[in-house]
Amino acid sequence: MDTGTKISAIAHVSLIGLALFGGTFRSEPLPMAVQDVAVVSAEQFAAMTAQSDAPEVPTPAALQQPEAPEEEVTSPEPVDEEQPRPEIATPPEPEPEPVHEPVEAPPEPEVVAEPPTLEPPEPEVVVLPVPPGPEAQPRPADKVAPEPIAPPPPEAKPDDVESPAVSQDEGAEVQQEQQDQTAPEEATDEIVTEAEEAKEYAPRTTPRPRVRPNRPTPPTQPEVAETEEPAPPTPAVNDETAINDALAEALDQGSEPSGPPLTSGEKDAMRLAVSKCWNVGSLSTDALQTVVVVGFSLTQDGKIVGGSLRMIDSSGGSAGAAKQAYEAARRAILRCGAKGYTLPADKYSQWRDIEITFNPERMRIK
Amino acid sequence: MMRFLTSLFLGLTILAAPVYAQNGPLRLELDQGIIEPLPFAVPSFVPDGPAATQFANDISRVVAADLIGTGLFREISSDAFISRVSNFEAPVQFADWKAINAEALVTGAVNVSGNRLTVRFRVWDVFSGQELGTGLQFAGTTDGWRRMAHKVADQVYSRITGEGAYFDSRVAFVSESGPKDQRLKRLAIMDYDGANVQYLTDSASIVLAPRFSPTGDRLLYTSYETGQPRIYVLDVDRVRRTELKTQEGTMSFSPRFSPDGRSIVYSLIQGGNTDLWKMDLASGQSVRLTNTTAIETAPSYSPDGSQIVFESDRSGTPQLYIMPANGGEATRISFGQGRYGTPVWSPRGDLIAFTKQNKGRFHIGVMRTDGGEERLLTSSFLDEGPTWSPNGRVIMFTRETQGASGRATLYSVDISGRNLRPVRTPDGGSDPSWGPLQN
Repeated sequence: MDTGTKISAIAHVSLIGLALFGGTFRSEPLPMAVQDVAVVSAEQFAAMTAQSDAPEVPTPAALQQPEAPEEEVTSPEPVDEEQPRPEIATPPEPEPEPVHEPVEAPPEPEVVAEPPTLEPPEPEVVVLPVPPGPEAQPRPADKVAPEPIAPPPPEAKPDDVESPAVSQDEGAEVQQEQQDQTAPEEATDEIVTEAEEAKEYAPRTTPRPRVRPNRPTPPTQPEVAETEEPAPPTPAVNDETAINDALAEALDQGSEPSGPPLTSGEKDAMRLAVSKCWNVGSLSTDALQTVVVVGFSLTQDGKIVGGSLRMIDSSGGSAGAAKQAYEAARRAILRCGAKGYTLPADKYSQWRDIEITFNPERMRIK
Repeated sequence: MMRFLTSLFLGLTILAAPVYAQNGPLRLELDQGIIEPLPFAVPSFVPDGPAATQFANDISRVVAADLIGTGLFREISSDAFISRVSNFEAPVQFADWKAINAEALVTGAVNVSGNRLTVRFRVWDVFSGQELGTGLQFAGTTDGWRRMAHKVADQVYSRITGEGAYFDSRVAFVSESGPKDQRLKRLAIMDYDGANVQYLTDSASIVLAPRFSPTGDRLLYTSYETGQPRIYVLDVDRVRRTELKTQEGTMSFSPRFSPDGRSIVYSLIQGGNTDLWKMDLASGQSVRLTNTTAIETAPSYSPDGSQIVFESDRSGTPQLYIMPANGGEATRISFGQGRYGTPVWSPRGDLIAFTKQNKGRFHIGVMRTDGGEERLLTSSFLDEGPTWSPNGRVIMFTRETQGASGRATLYSVDISGRNLRPVRTPDGGSDPSWGPLQN
């Protein structure tokens, strides 16, 4: 037996001996977190996952946080107690008019190197079928609008605003100005055919999922630590040239809109103002396939600048159909803007020029 | 130090400027509007002389009635007018029409010279203050004043909606009078709005299913005057008819012209079996298109003449099928509950109108040519026999009420399902066939 074999045999025996009797490899069990396990439903799991996707950096106080439709959001019980979760409610689908509301910082925010990139989850909206009953029956009306309107009182004059009748009361101490009762015109939110009127106890339409609105763009993000630093300016070869360039750029900005942008609520208000007059009822089926983009300018008091209305683009239909679609859009802008649109005066430069895309896809005959 | 300050200045400039910057104009997207009749005003057309006064008034009323009848327009009463149009060439006071919320304005003038009638008109988009299209003039005889009014209304309708015209068209139908068990039926023709009814046959024998030729000069119909159903061709202007000879010992019915007007497709009962046949009108030669043991009937060509939609019970219940115009394999397109019949291809080619019977009710409906997007537009005790307006926007059909005193009436409905309304005829009416636009 050569020396190498002996050494190897001795070493192996020693190693086995140590393993068996020395306790060298015996160690304390690794610390193990023990937690209760609960059975969760798929909905809860989805909501739980959504929570973990929520921003975990302290939300800047200035950030607009949309108001949560509480009745639509079901906050699941947190299952994992060890992971502190921010107390921010799941970012819900933003309402048209988000409320400026400072959001409480989470108790123990976990600092993450990168800002979360996942989309905020939408709250699960359970749409119940229309309950049967006489009031649920669709009613035909001359007008089809996004929101149904009950028939006005017979003596009421049609007007956008509902107002009660006021008559002169000779005995009254304070004499109110006499006015006629007004009410919006009756409207239904869908075309009801005779065949559909006769149906009973059946959901009339499959509820369409709500369109995911654009996430409100925060005006600035200077307070977020992870905000990307603006690219450093290219080292100027000549300081004077660089200053001149910068000045020229800054001056150019003067012709661009400046000042705070319109909030989503203000944009929605403008959108609603035009949509109330966008009547596609007299359009051909071809024109209802055509999307037109109409541009126009407004004066500071919200009135349309004469001759500024123009069709910028059209798609989906023939030139003739685009013409009809444009004329309907033009009528909408002119008719509802006859008295001037109400827009924030301090943001005039933001709404001086407007481009509206009229997309009749949802208004087509189906 | 200078370099630091410069860098600081540059940095601040670049940081500060784009904070509120927005590229270009404010951009919005609208996907929700309203659907309601468009308010319009038609002040009485301006007469050029006393002889034209009545015509001017009548023509403007017919124009307004045509537009209102579509369901797409709402007339603003003349009581609300602020300004009057007393001169056709005078500038329009748009502010006065805006104030009463008239979105469209139709102005016109009428001249009568002997029995010659001239109508001029313009259509205005009130809120933009622009004319829609250009002014037009129609000339004709005083007898044809209604047609000229329909032509004006057609122009107004097309310029505002973009749809094809249809007011200056005629409808052939079966005029029905008397109680149900002794009903007298006559072939009749009228303007699309029920005016100018003319009777083309007497009531001695039962007539059925008149069908206009593509040019509107001839009518196909089925008559039982020999005791058996036979197909006849009627020259509308001369009211002269010719029998179309089919095979001996057979019964033929349900004829319809091909889009080129040179041939007809019809049903023929031979040995107890009903199949579809096609006849060349010039040669009188017939060829068989279907050969099954099922009942095949109610054929209707696609506007390009390449296909035929028809009704067959080969699957057990009456359903709709499409096959090549020269026969061949048929494809079933209706799959809903109930029984489908009397399919008619839209002149636009995109839809097929049909009658559907389901759960004891009859419906007029439309579906795509592949059978998709079926929509039922009406519902009643008995609706049947749809026919398309020349522009493919409106459907006319027969509605019959229940009971021994039940009456058949013509109705029309927009393809959206809105604007369901009866068509006024002197007596009852059934089996309408909407002819093409007149020249």
